This record gives sequence, C-alpha cells and structure tokens, in this order.
Amino acid sequence: MIKYILAALGIGVVAGYLSSNWGSILVGNFISDYVFNGALLSLLLVMGASFGMDKDSIAKMRQTGIRILVVPFAIAIGSVLGGLIGGLILGIDVVACMAVSAGYGWYTLAGPLIGQLFGAEWGTLGFVSNFLRELLTIVAISLLIRMDRYAPVASGGATSMDTTLPVIVRYSGSGALITAFSSGFALSVAAPFSIMAIATLK
Amino acid sequence: MLDAKIILYMLGLTVSLVAGVLLGYFLRNKRRMSLNRITLGIIIILIFSLGFSIGSSNELLSALPKVGLDALVITLLAICFSVVFAKIAGKMVKLE
Repeated sequence: MIKYILAALGIGVVAGYLSSNWGSILVGNFISDYVFNGALLSLLLVMGASFGMDKDSIAKMRQTGIRILVVPFAIAIGSVLGGLIGGLILGIDVVACMAVSAGYGWYTLAGPLIGQLFGAEWGTLGFVSNFLRELLTIVAISLLIRMDRYAPVASGGATSMDTTLPVIVRYSGSGALITAFSSGFALSVAAPFSIMAIATLK
Repeated sequence: MLDAKIILYMLGLTVSLVAGVLLGYFLRNKRRMSLNRITLGIIIILIFSLGFSIGSSNELLSALPKVGLDALVITLLAICFSVVFAKIAGKMVKLE
C-alpha cells in the first residue's frame, strides 16, 4: 500500500508544481483547500465508523481513559529534547532549535510564529523542519510501525490528528484511531504555547 | 496563534470523528460492509492533495535546499526522542 501512497504524493508534488507555474490559481486553491478538507473530513467519518463498530477498540478506550494524554506529553518532551540536542550538534542557537522542534510537525503554524519570535531565517528552519516531520512520518510509516505501536503517533506529532492520521490508522489498525487523534489534538493545542514559552528563554 | 480559522478546523475534524464513531456504534449490529477499499481511495486523494500543496508552495521549495540539512538533523532527533519517550510513557502507565 505504501507504494500507492508514495506515488500519490509524488504525482501530487509534480502536479502542484506544474499548476502553480502554469496552471490556474483557482484550480490550485480548489485542490489544496476543498479536495484536501473534503477527503480529510470524510476519512474521519469513515474511520470513526470502523472504530465505533469495533467492540474491542471501544472497551480498550474506556479502560485507558484520560491516561492516554501521557502519550502526547511524552512526545512533546521528546521533541523539545531532540531540538536541544540537534542545536548542540549543529552548533547553532539551541533555544531557537527547541522552538523549531516544539512545532510538533505543524509547519504552517511553526514557520510564521518562529519567524515572528526569532527572526525570518529561524522561521524558514521551523517551516522546513516541521514539514519534514510530516513527510518522514508518511514515507517511513512501515518502518516506524515495526519499532513500537506508538512510534507512528510519536513521529506524526501534531499531524496525527489530520494529515498523517489516515496513514497511521491504516497501518496500526482501528484501535490506534483515538490515541492518534487525541495525541495530535493535544499537541496542536500545545504547539503555539510551547513555542512562545521557549521563546521567553532566549 | 490559535485563531478562529484554526479552531473551526479542529472543531470540524472532531465533530466528523465523533459523528463517525456514533454512526458506527449504532450500526454495529447491521451487516458489515467493507470500508477498506473506500478508505484507501480517499487516502490516495488526500495524499495527492497534500503533495499538490507541497509542490505549489514556492516558499517551501526555495527554502528546502537552504536549510534542508539542519532541518533534517533536528527533525530526525525530535522524531527519535519522541518515539523513545512515548514508548517509555506507554509502559509506565500500562496503556496496553
């Protein structure tokens, strides 16, 4: 299945590139906004329905309850620590690197916000780094799932409530739906506050 | 920041998911239909449109060669530590 996903991604990139240079802006916006959101909302509906039909998954969710929030908390700490070590290895501003990795994969937020707080060049790094997080999660999903059952959710970060959610659920099964969504949701809410909190350290 | 558009987006996703779960729950005793094919089809459409946004973002394409390597190092480390921490946390609170 991963080859279909990678093919769709590759063809999409080429089509988007051609369209933005020679195509109509209206068609481009239609695909990036309406087709994307339409596909996402219907996927959540269909995957939600599969989950709702699955008695085992519901029982497991009831049993776990609020403890599920430990997962996004651990992911947040792991991400910021990764940024810290990355900054030390690269020999660049450690605080800015922590802010970059505190985007948790949400590049449309991290780019502009970090740009505002740390300057334009850090904004670019925040944008690209968080974009790569989303891309790597999709590309490496079959590798991640072999590491640990929460590895795809951890790698997806904030994106595990939208762009990477369908791929994660497809690979990990219906049972991962609520874990992935709630973790992505919590991290999406946490991302802007984490970045701003880290910015106070500089 | 979390402005109105983002809140609406997240709300939309949540409503969709909850509606799906409720629908599935109340239809659980009905004859099961295979949703796998449909899901895969919509995933392909979603990933295509994601690729489309990436390909049409000049901002992203021009920044990639400039900061790509630094970004890759930070991202890989963030992913690795997240995976390890999530695994430890899952074990600690016995999520299984």
